[in-house]
Amino acid sequence: MQIKPILSALRRHKAGTFLIAAQIALTLAIVCNALFIIQQRVAHLSEPSGIDEANIFVIKSEWVGAPAPDQADAQMREDLQVLRQLPGVQNVTPSNSYPLRGDGWDDAIRLKPDQVQDSSGATIYFADENFLDTLDLKLIAGRNFRAEEIGHMDLRYKLAPPVVIITKALAEKLFPGETAVGKTIYLIGGPATVIGEVELLQAQSVEHWASEFAYRSVIIPERLNVSLGAFYIVRARPGQLETAMPAAVKALFAHNPRRVINEDDGVLSFSDVRSRAYESDRGMAILMGVICAVLLAVTAAGIVGLTSFWVGQRRKQIGVRRALGATRRDILNYFMTENLLISVGGVLFGAVLAIAINLWMVTRFEMHHLSMVYLMAGVAMLLLLGQGAVLAPALRASRVPPVEATRSV
Amino acid sequence: MLKMTHLSKVYRTEVVETYALRDFNINVNEGEFVAVTGPSGSGKTTFLTIAGLLETFTGGQYHLDGVEVSNLNDNERSRIRNEKIGFIFQAFNLIPDLNVFDNVEVPLRYRGMKAAERKERIMDALERVGLASRAKHYPAELSGGQQQRVAIARALAGSPRLLLADEPTGNLDTQMARGVMELLEEIHREGATIVMVTHDPELAARAQRNVHIIDGQVVDLAEDPRFHHAVHAARNNAPA
Repeated sequence: MQIKPILSALRRHKAGTFLIAAQIALTLAIVCNALFIIQQRVAHLSEPSGIDEANIFVIKSEWVGAPAPDQADAQMREDLQVLRQLPGVQNVTPSNSYPLRGDGWDDAIRLKPDQVQDSSGATIYFADENFLDTLDLKLIAGRNFRAEEIGHMDLRYKLAPPVVIITKALAEKLFPGETAVGKTIYLIGGPATVIGEVELLQAQSVEHWASEFAYRSVIIPERLNVSLGAFYIVRARPGQLETAMPAAVKALFAHNPRRVINEDDGVLSFSDVRSRAYESDRGMAILMGVICAVLLAVTAAGIVGLTSFWVGQRRKQIGVRRALGATRRDILNYFMTENLLISVGGVLFGAVLAIAINLWMVTRFEMHHLSMVYLMAGVAMLLLLGQGAVLAPALRASRVPPVEATRSV
Repeated sequence: MLKMTHLSKVYRTEVVETYALRDFNINVNEGEFVAVTGPSGSGKTTFLTIAGLLETFTGGQYHLDGVEVSNLNDNERSRIRNEKIGFIFQAFNLIPDLNVFDNVEVPLRYRGMKAAERKERIMDALERVGLASRAKHYPAELSGGQQQRVAIARALAGSPRLLLADEPTGNLDTQMARGVMELLEEIHREGATIVMVTHDPELAARAQRNVHIIDGQVVDLAEDPRFHHAVHAARNNAPA
């Protein structure tokens, strides 16, 4: 190996060596953290909602005029009846929101009436007895609502249902190691008895602030009547989503044309809902990916540029080495080894920098600690990038003929 | 040791063929000190680069130490350059980024020699040229004469069978040139075969034999009367 003379030569070219090593270090630090953020965003994108996404669509129907709560409830029940009769519809339920909607009702849950500190936050889903079947939620304890338990309310009333169904995640938070069924929880309006637990139901928001209670939800047996309109969550029969969506809109207008269903977002399949919910995450992941690609390209270009410059500058020296017995492979190895030494220096410094940047982001932006797997992968990627980038100029160097030694500069 | 028979070297472009060497014949025996002389552009350096396997020739035969070299591949040529030939260039051709020790070490590393043996050979070679104390110096910290001595040490460290010198004193003042020449003579007395290209009649006179090249061919020295007389004069003036 020629490590000692190469190091000796590099010491005489400190500026170029330092610049490339620094560029590699900076790229590693940024790329490691960016890839880690991308991974977290991608993992966030694929978090399960707990519902039958393939067959569910959502209709947002706004009333024309401002019907009184009782009138709105009557219209809502008629709409539900109309939708339920469609051949492509398996079930339908009204609600104030749905997972990933990004807007809805979140509330504090307490275990005692005079409790100062909340026990947990939770998303509140208004529902009827068809909610569980429509969303295909798995009941793991207790029972579903009965039809006679379903009430209706408007925003003048406090939230105080006599019974609720909660998610397993909320049950584990409120009553660790115990069943929640039969227990009392306190909503903002008063006590409610838990009559059932469902396996999984994601919150309406996927934003960072809601991450703590991402799967803590409370389902209450009320239809929410607001003058603006209502959400109908519709579960199509398997394979009939595409036909059921326009059929549902047509049927609603046929029954009562005094409504507005927005062309852009009035009817959304759940894949549209998911796509809209994670738009910023996806955008951030793409942006980070582009930044990584640009940084890697700039670093590779820097290595190619500097090595090409050095090859040009050392053409005579390469000829001398060839004259003294170096084979083409020896010359190739020389430049590859030289790059490897610079890259190793760069990645060592870069690894420290990557950890430092991550620690700063952990304290500043509540990020997770950088996984060593990402750091190792980043180190391997930068070393491979360096070797790949130096290959072309190194091959060019290896083709310098030995007779170059006799030519005057 | 070195035998070229009817050797030719042609540089071709799309429109013209230029003969650098034509029907070139030379035979250098083991232990000889031969000076190759001739005017500028006569083909001296081309001869040396072919002799040193730095470039290929177009026709004819070249036997080096009994081996016909025309069919050797690049790796085999590299190995022969490394093991059998020592080069001394006019411009010294030391690697400026390496100190004296590392410069002398370059060919030995390519031979895959162990570190202990490399060190012993390097220090022996540097002592022989009187520069052992400068082992850690860089070329830029040495005079021209010292740099050429380092280049000679580099050539000697590998114990080559043939030493090729291209105008070894061309970049040196008279005093330094004399020192380098004395060193070459000493190396020759110890048994080395030396082929030295020079245009200096005084240096040529100090070799055992002169080979004169004109227009890419070996000619009788008498065909270049001015150079012939200059060599004779130099020989007559040389100290006994």
